[in-house]
Amino acid sequence: MLRWGALLLALAACLLLGLAVGQQWMNPLDATGQDAVILWQLRLPRVLVAFAVGGLLALAGAWFQVLLGNPLAEPYVLGVAGSASAGAVTGLMILPESAWAMSLGAFAGAWIGIIAVMLFSRLGASRMLLAGVVLAAFWSAILALLLALLPEQGLFRAFAWMMGDLSHSDVPVPVLLLAWAIALSCGLMLSRSLDKLLLGERHAEALGVNVKQLRTRLLWLASAVTALSVTAAGTIGFVGLVVPHLMRLIFGSLHKAVLPASAIGGGLLLLLADTTARTIIAPAELPVGVLTAIIGVPVFLLLLLRRG
Amino acid sequence: MSARMQLTDVSIRRGDRVLLSQLSCELHAGEITVVLGPNGAGKSSLLLAIARLIEASGSITLAGRPLANFSRHELTGQISWQGELPPTEFGLTVQQRLELAGTDAKDEIESVATGMDINHLLSRPLGQLSSGERQRTELAALMLRDTPLWLLDEPTAHLDLKHQIQCIEMLKSQRDKGRTIITVLHDLQQAMAIADHLILIDGRGGAEHGEAAGLFDPARMTALFSASLRQQGALLVPDYGEKT
Repeated sequence: MLRWGALLLALAACLLLGLAVGQQWMNPLDATGQDAVILWQLRLPRVLVAFAVGGLLALAGAWFQVLLGNPLAEPYVLGVAGSASAGAVTGLMILPESAWAMSLGAFAGAWIGIIAVMLFSRLGASRMLLAGVVLAAFWSAILALLLALLPEQGLFRAFAWMMGDLSHSDVPVPVLLLAWAIALSCGLMLSRSLDKLLLGERHAEALGVNVKQLRTRLLWLASAVTALSVTAAGTIGFVGLVVPHLMRLIFGSLHKAVLPASAIGGGLLLLLADTTARTIIAPAELPVGVLTAIIGVPVFLLLLLRRG
Repeated sequence: MSARMQLTDVSIRRGDRVLLSQLSCELHAGEITVVLGPNGAGKSSLLLAIARLIEASGSITLAGRPLANFSRHELTGQISWQGELPPTEFGLTVQQRLELAGTDAKDEIESVATGMDINHLLSRPLGQLSSGERQRTELAALMLRDTPLWLLDEPTAHLDLKHQIQCIEMLKSQRDKGRTIITVLHDLQQAMAIADHLILIDGRGGAEHGEAAGLFDPARMTALFSASLRQQGALLVPDYGEKT
């Protein structure tokens, strides 16, 4: 209970911090006039997007790790980030003036990547992982080709998006929060089966899990969540890889704890990273993906050392 | 608790290779059947086929009902399988591993863990255990599964002498309680100590089965394993030659 209390307290503190800091400080509990406009129209949506996207990425990471039986798996391991990036740049090339072009392109690209991976899903975890890694290399090559062809004025937008951009999400905040809640609920419903899958596919099957069905459900769920996250915020690495491990170290390996802790912890990490990214060299912003690693890596390594 | 199992013309293939061809036999409740044969012959595959974890042709019935007609859930209530050691990457503890076997009852887990000498390891992650301790954890997980049929794949592997004896005693005691047990073993002495029934798989598709007493003879075992054996009293032991 103490650990959950600490996690929720840290989340509340980070939420308040995210609302309070920016180009100017404010008390989020007593904002009036211009401050209230900034708070409600700018900071609150951004804080909520960071929380929801971080949580979704961490959930997808936890699922992919179990699905592929590989602790190095993360939401982009099967090439979805590459295909989404290629889609986003394609959108930018076709409709350079449109505010929605990159998001739409990313969403379409993410699903093209997912469908490509699905073709290999029946081959089992290790071959699917291999196919995903090869597809990721393919999408990277396509992305490099598109970037070489992209007019110079589009390059900055493309790179900013590829390093993670929470400054303007084209996915409405309520949709992201609803997706966070639905994803967590679905995950919790599957949690006992996921625990059994930690023992390996044969043990899980022998313990009554319909492994084929579970793998299909997990793949769709994790892929949909990844596609939504990429569409909302570009590609943000590290959160999906490390947060589930961090939460296993703190809360143990059972998914009834790992999933909610990851959904909260991922949100917390991205929120903290984004708050730092937009304030540390204000009015300029750092790419949030860089900050997630700079904050998360030392925390993770320290915990790893302490737990032996 | 009763599990009469009938195998009729069961064949198992791995790729192009026929591991087992048209095995037919009947196994009764309260019997231990030991599966013997050389590496790669298909012993583990036979257990997996009986647990319906891999495909096999032919017919397998449990208490007169074809296995194919059991739902996965129903099958879980009838058959327990102890096979390869589970992976350790995700930090499951011994306690959590045992809970996944099907019970959250702390008393029951502690009692079984004490019986397997792993009570002091309950809070340890599986990755911090030796292979023998992990094997004892798997045997404890099996003991928590109160199903009429147990399938064990080399249950004494990784175990020291004390725990090998403990494992064999445990299997005998479960047999005496009426459980049907099919186990793969490599140690002939252990097999002779507990087998009521033998299935001998030669790795070329052929299989023999029958009462253990009738099948334990030096010529048959030497041919099965392509290894030199000798009679030592009532026992068949590997012939390692003279000490040089």
